Amino acid sequence: MDLYKWLIAAALVVIAGLGIWFAIEYHNAPEVERTNIRPGKIADIQSMAQLCTVDFYEDFPVRGHIGSKHIFARIAMTGSISFNLDSLDIEERGDTLVVTLPPEIVTAMESTEPGAYEVIDTWNDSFMGSSKFTTAEENAIKSKARLQFIRRIYAKGYVRRARAEAVANLRTLLSAATGRPVEVIDPTPDGKIW
Amino acid sequence: MPRYIYALIIVILASCARQEPPGRNYLDELRSVNKLVLAQMTISKMATVGDLRPEDAKGMKQTAAALLDQFKIGNRKAAYSYDTYLRSYIDLSQLQPGDISIDHEARTVTIALPPVETEYMGRDVTIREDHYRVTGLRSDIDQDERARIKEAMNASLKAEVEANPEFRQKLEQQARAKARAYFTSIAAADGYKANIIFKPSRGGGQ
Repeated sequence: MDLYKWLIAAALVVIAGLGIWFAIEYHNAPEVERTNIRPGKIADIQSMAQLCTVDFYEDFPVRGHIGSKHIFARIAMTGSISFNLDSLDIEERGDTLVVTLPPEIVTAMESTEPGAYEVIDTWNDSFMGSSKFTTAEENAIKSKARLQFIRRIYAKGYVRRARAEAVANLRTLLSAATGRPVEVIDPTPDGKIW
Repeated sequence: MPRYIYALIIVILASCARQEPPGRNYLDELRSVNKLVLAQMTISKMATVGDLRPEDAKGMKQTAAALLDQFKIGNRKAAYSYDTYLRSYIDLSQLQPGDISIDHEARTVTIALPPVETEYMGRDVTIREDHYRVTGLRSDIDQDERARIKEAMNASLKAEVEANPEFRQKLEQQARAKARAYFTSIAAADGYKANIIFKPSRGGGQ
């Protein structure tokens, strides 16, 4: 009888030990990962001389639909407004130097901060319809949202401010440099969306 | 003094005067800056999605998942990529009048430029689908999964750039070369030879 009890106790201890071992092993085991991320590759390096006057960072809502499928998401957008210093158009009119401010370069991208893009909701107006978006569909909606964001940058006066600063800087620069009257023409003070 | 050198000094002084103190931005999300951007780098990142193979599985969880994948009907394979952009610049607002010295007799200009700094510009808003083959009873790769994949790729890229100084070094090298060429051409317009020096960065690098 005693032997029987001892055997049961030993079996329980072994089972408990195996259970603990299994739990620890399972807890420490690497997570299931079906995505294989390859090392980054340098695709291009470009030299330039651009004067950047404004940086911005903004959360932007993305709303769109393809047929009866809808998506609502959030993108953290980041960007800047710059001017190409190599493309200044300078003309002499008598004593006066007439300079035309080049077009602004507005860059708007998805931020690299963690969680920069978040899908908040997707739904389908059709009963039992799928709310899954293909890559092409989602890209189309996001590209449209990016253009809306750029339009908003213009509407909020960011470009106007950047251009005004560029005009002032150029006038100061060139009149000091030449000792001549300088007129800086800004053909598009509000900028121009290309 | 040659007019281009006057011009350079005026630009520097103007940039110093225009610098707004930190925390006094035009708007919260808008920051006035005075950067001379000299180089830009594009880094491509790719990720593939596929079933786990039993021979590649490590640990209990992966082995179980790999075995389970063997019984699933159909294939689920895809490849995604997108580009991330870095840029190198010098902060013109850090230039001081004392950073420029001119020797008229030797006809040389010495300019001590602020260190070249590098920052992330951002990444593509869209993602490229380089391959997609989901067949049988396998579930499609949807927007949530793509967002998670992009997030993981972003974290991986940042860790890679942090761990491998080659990325920044290549870009900063290019930026320094451009800065030298740019300021040398300004000085050369008046027959001066430019000597460009870069101040050491806070990290001590050149």
